[in-house]
Amino acid sequence: MSRSLVSPSSLKRKRPETQLPGLVDAEHAILNLIKSKRDLGIWTREIKLETKLADNVVTKSVKSLLAKGLIKEVVNIQNKAKKTYMAVEFEPSKEISGGEWYNNGELDKQLIDALKLVCFRYMRMQKVATLEGVHNEIKKNGVVTFDISSQQIGEILNSMVLDNDIIEVKSTGLGDYYSIPIGKTCYRVAGGAGVAKGPRMGAFATIPCGACPRISLCTSDGVISQSTCVYYTKWLGIDF
Amino acid sequence: MVSPHGIQFAAHLISSFYGELCSKVCECLLRRGTLTLAQIIQSTELSRENVINCLRVLIHQNCVQAFAVQREGAFGEAPRIVTQYMALFNNIIHKLRAPKFMQIVSEELGKDGLMQHGRLSLKRIIDRNEQTAGSSDIHVVRESFIRLLNARFIERCPAPEPFLAPPAEDEAPAKRRGAKSAKIAEPKTTEQRALAAAAPMESMRFLMEMDDLPEKNDDESSDSVTHRKKRKQDVLKSDEDVLDANDKKEVLWRVNFEELVRRLRTKACISYVKTKINDEAGIVLSAILDLSGRPESRQKAEKTAYLSINAIYDEVIKKEGGLGMDFERIRVSLNQLGCETLSTGLDESYSIGTHLSSFSYFNAVVESVVLRRYGREAYRVFRLLSKAGRFLETDKISDSTFVEKKDAIKILYKLWKDDYLHMEKVVSSGARQSLFLVWRVNKQTLWEQVLDEMYHAALNLRLRIAHEQDRGKEVLQLPREKLVGELEKKYKLLGKVRVILESSLMNLDEAIMLFHDF
Repeated sequence: MSRSLVSPSSLKRKRPETQLPGLVDAEHAILNLIKSKRDLGIWTREIKLETKLADNVVTKSVKSLLAKGLIKEVVNIQNKAKKTYMAVEFEPSKEISGGEWYNNGELDKQLIDALKLVCFRYMRMQKVATLEGVHNEIKKNGVVTFDISSQQIGEILNSMVLDNDIIEVKSTGLGDYYSIPIGKTCYRVAGGAGVAKGPRMGAFATIPCGACPRISLCTSDGVISQSTCVYYTKWLGIDF
Repeated sequence: MVSPHGIQFAAHLISSFYGELCSKVCECLLRRGTLTLAQIIQSTELSRENVINCLRVLIHQNCVQAFAVQREGAFGEAPRIVTQYMALFNNIIHKLRAPKFMQIVSEELGKDGLMQHGRLSLKRIIDRNEQTAGSSDIHVVRESFIRLLNARFIERCPAPEPFLAPPAEDEAPAKRRGAKSAKIAEPKTTEQRALAAAAPMESMRFLMEMDDLPEKNDDESSDSVTHRKKRKQDVLKSDEDVLDANDKKEVLWRVNFEELVRRLRTKACISYVKTKINDEAGIVLSAILDLSGRPESRQKAEKTAYLSINAIYDEVIKKEGGLGMDFERIRVSLNQLGCETLSTGLDESYSIGTHLSSFSYFNAVVESVVLRRYGREAYRVFRLLSKAGRFLETDKISDSTFVEKKDAIKILYKLWKDDYLHMEKVVSSGARQSLFLVWRVNKQTLWEQVLDEMYHAALNLRLRIAHEQDRGKEVLQLPREKLVGELEKKYKLLGKVRVILESSLMNLDEAIMLFHDF
């Protein structure tokens, strides 16, 4: 038995069984499609391609579903221009949202900085701290409103290591490490030189050439040269 | 191969010390590699006489090494011996460090004149001392000479023109013996072989034999240093005009740059550790390096020998600030320094990597440049890749460094464009084909790139010093009395500028010296 092609308009008039009352077929089809994408979501153009429904039908249905609170719009970190929709019962996956540190498609710098500060203060007091110690401190401190995981704290600490604000060390069980098992990874505030300080190590970075974005274009007799260099003039404090 | 700005910088130094012509010859050798006299003449378009004079100066000043090779004759002619010349880049750059070297020597042993004069025989040293100091006490001079030798600040000069046997003869027997018994892991370049052949034997290098000491009444005329009696070379046909046949009896001595660089490096190592960790770690490191002494051979020792904790303690308490340290605190410092320990029963000993890479000096220099040039986020990105030591994908980088993904891409692209990173495109196969970009720090190319930039910066500093002097020459030439009001201000400003530039150059040069050795 072959099925005859049903026109979209006839779909509308039919009222087959639906799980949810008050939904027309188009809305139902679209809702099912969105639900099937679970936490990845789907964007408008894909809905149109997969359901093969007319543009205006899709637009109207989506609007209606939103109004009924059955789907929600989420920001897709991969491409903020794509309007992405998801069933309300799902949370956006990391791929879409960017992860716990993203808020509405933007990196939540305030949160990150606040956490870094708390970690740093704690470590400065303790001299040496383990991941667990810092985690407990954060939870106790109440600086975050959500349940922050140990892994997330680890990410913050790693970022601080990259900033050279703290260093990662292994416990020797001696001295400051006496309460920490030997070999365990812990953190301490970086010593005097956060970033290569002192004339020798920073020798290149502290002269204009070290910081110059145009060094590859600089030649001794070119337009950009040591004689004409404005960075030099500024650094030397001369203007005659 | 020397980097482009390295060559420019070296040529500039030669020009400042020995003139334009020498600089041209030197630059020619640096750019084009080892050449014969004829090739140099052709390339520089200077007269034969000029080239010969320049080569003589450069050889005497230890900036060029000559060596002889056998060339196959063309069209059935007999093989000829040809003299080739190679520039010694490191020694040229050392010219800039002469004041620092002299300071080290005078700190340890009092004044010395050998530094400025390239190479001298003991007799010449005595003569010079007579001329300058006015005294001719041969024993005083000899004693100070021996002190310099024992401290290894001076060494025997290399052979003026060693002969390199044709490599073909060496290779055949090696092949017969089989690859496994081949002694050399990598084939040495001609230049490496020449230097090895020229170098005095390790046992002779710092040895002064009794008959080296000249008699008081010598019949040799007191010629100037650069002029010697010509003597026919019977065995080798060489460039006689260039290489004054050295009296085989007269041993020549020169500054031992290796020792001076080693001392500067040790000093810098300790200073770096003091800033990076703390003073105590610096004291402990200094004790370890003192106990370890210097490596016996020309090879740089990768690690010190294992030293017992007792020996380290005994050395530490002798040091300034070390008296108050106990075993516990020494152990903490040893751990911070990253020492390897070896505990067998009651013995507890430690060893440390002597190379500066152990103290992540290279990383510190490059990271500070990245921070200043590209900003803090780039600094994090770079450090992540540097630590990872492998390819990382863009998203992973942005997640780990808390940098917005769109900013991460911009930073990575900028670093890649400036040759600080490698990038590759990876296409993932599967249901959805997507293109990923992966990034990596390649330490070797990065080192070359940054070192070249440092030479560039050093050259810029020197040229700017000359430029400022030139601009202010009218003021500088005025007599003191006329320097009032505006002119006095300008004069002071010129002085300040000069101090900034010259001290920056000194610091940068030290950084180059350490960086170069990485």
